[in-house]
Amino acid sequence: MADPKNPDQSRRNFLAGVAGAGALAAMGETLAQAPAAPPGTISNDLVKAEKAKAMQWHSERPLTGSVPAHEHDFDVTPNDRMYIRNNLTTPVIDINTHRLTIKGLVDKELSWSVFDLAKSFKTVSMQGMLECAGSGRAAYQPRASGTPWLETGGMGCPMWGGVRLRDVLNAAGVKPGAAHVAGQGGDPGLVPTAAPVIRSIPMAKAMDESTLVAWAMNGSPLPWVHGYPLRLVVPGWVGSASTKWLHTLSVLDAPFKGTYMDSSYRVPRHPIEPGTKMPPDAVSAEAWPVKSMISSPAPNAHVKGGSPVLVRGRAWVGEGSVERVEISSDEGKSWQRAELAPASPLHPYAWRTFLYEYRPQRPGYVSFLARAWDSRGNAQPAVSYWNPLGYFWNGWHRVGVVVEA
Amino acid sequence: MALLALAASAFPQKKEDRLISGPGSVLTETKCTICHELEHIRRTPLSRGEWADNLRNMKERGTPMTEAEMAVILDYLSTYYNRERPPPEPSPDTLATAAADPMEKLLGAHGCVACHALDKRVLGPSFKEVAARYSGDAAAAPRLAAKIRAGGQGAWGNVPMPPNARLSEGDAKTLANWVLQQK
Repeated sequence: MADPKNPDQSRRNFLAGVAGAGALAAMGETLAQAPAAPPGTISNDLVKAEKAKAMQWHSERPLTGSVPAHEHDFDVTPNDRMYIRNNLTTPVIDINTHRLTIKGLVDKELSWSVFDLAKSFKTVSMQGMLECAGSGRAAYQPRASGTPWLETGGMGCPMWGGVRLRDVLNAAGVKPGAAHVAGQGGDPGLVPTAAPVIRSIPMAKAMDESTLVAWAMNGSPLPWVHGYPLRLVVPGWVGSASTKWLHTLSVLDAPFKGTYMDSSYRVPRHPIEPGTKMPPDAVSAEAWPVKSMISSPAPNAHVKGGSPVLVRGRAWVGEGSVERVEISSDEGKSWQRAELAPASPLHPYAWRTFLYEYRPQRPGYVSFLARAWDSRGNAQPAVSYWNPLGYFWNGWHRVGVVVEA
Repeated sequence: MALLALAASAFPQKKEDRLISGPGSVLTETKCTICHELEHIRRTPLSRGEWADNLRNMKERGTPMTEAEMAVILDYLSTYYNRERPPPEPSPDTLATAAADPMEKLLGAHGCVACHALDKRVLGPSFKEVAARYSGDAAAAPRLAAKIRAGGQGAWGNVPMPPNARLSEGDAKTLANWVLQQK
């Protein structure tokens, strides 16, 4: 481990207010039994040991995995069901020596330990949606290159704890002309030539009160693979904006130039013919379009006849708010409005639970489709426009069940 | 040695992780498995234009490969993993066996020369430096062979050497013996 001296004690001291002692004890036990990993990184086996059995692993190098929709039936995504999408390896970083440095177009370059951040700025607890840009890629035809996330894979909505990025930026003093803020994390690549994963976000999003520098997830220290000890949380936007293992913030006069900005995480400005190359005028992938999933019942579940079937799920949108969710039980010929949990002003980027009570008319097979609308009048399409990197799938989620006699 | 064994086990790879055999298949396997499994290729055939974009993206992300190597890989991928037409029958990788000098072929096919040169430091130590350090150490060859396959960090600084899981034990021994002779 990174700090052979006493990492757990410092975690306890620091996180006593938020962390359950049981969770920490369990973590210590897992670590003690875990196999060692290459220098400075943690093994996939150890990462997986902290995850739910329902996780479906798509790749080992880099590690990617998520749970299917019916295993996502939680109002707040538990740590063990949060998706994993690494670009490189999982580093082991010592919270006692880790520092966050801010540089670039600022009045003064500053740096803080995680403990300093907690002491210097107002701490915030906020539920927020993170979703990999490629979530749902498996639904695209023809297949697009990249992790084959299921329609509803590669996302989750945990509770985050930390400080506001804007407070950190204001402490350093943002100079005129500042346009983007880039986050850099400490995840090493497998070759010395590996490009660092650096992404930048526009100043307006960086200054949003929901954009956080976070150290806690669901009341515990961030799990190793989710960015311990520090990460960005840029809710509603493609997951790659939320730099894990954050150590440097750079305030820039333009979007960061690098492969993870200029060649990845890009989408065509207008629809293109499926199977063709990325057009030159592509734009950076930012906020997710409106999307929903049915998390219960499970696909092909057998439900009792004569009693209502409760269709439950979650709906979300990258910016703005979900306006309504509709369910179709006749493959899209007609739609009925589902009951939608009220939006919380404290958690504007949280997904919202919807419920629909279906009364079966007869035994047999019935399918449900979910379609969400946002506050700007956008609805989920039946099929999303194809794009070369397979981003932003938000087609209708469909679950079929059997009503027993 | 314990560290090396563990390093290798941290990124388990399927033993039969291969692409369809054909001209350029060995080079493609070697370069791509530096960072990811070959399933990423097998499951998503692409058009030639998309493969070209994809290769450029991988080069930007840090894959050590030359323009000439990229041309071979592009030809290979857009022949054997093309979404617009089925792949031809497997054939021997004539490009892998074309190099005149077998050592040169081995060093090239496994990407050694991306980081090492005979007598000067690139990203890793020169072959001569390695030979000099282990001069007179009778047990060095098997240790070095294992290290070439498993990768490692620390013996020559902080720049890690990635594992070379595609390298057979026999080829690793050949390489280790050759390196130790470069005094």
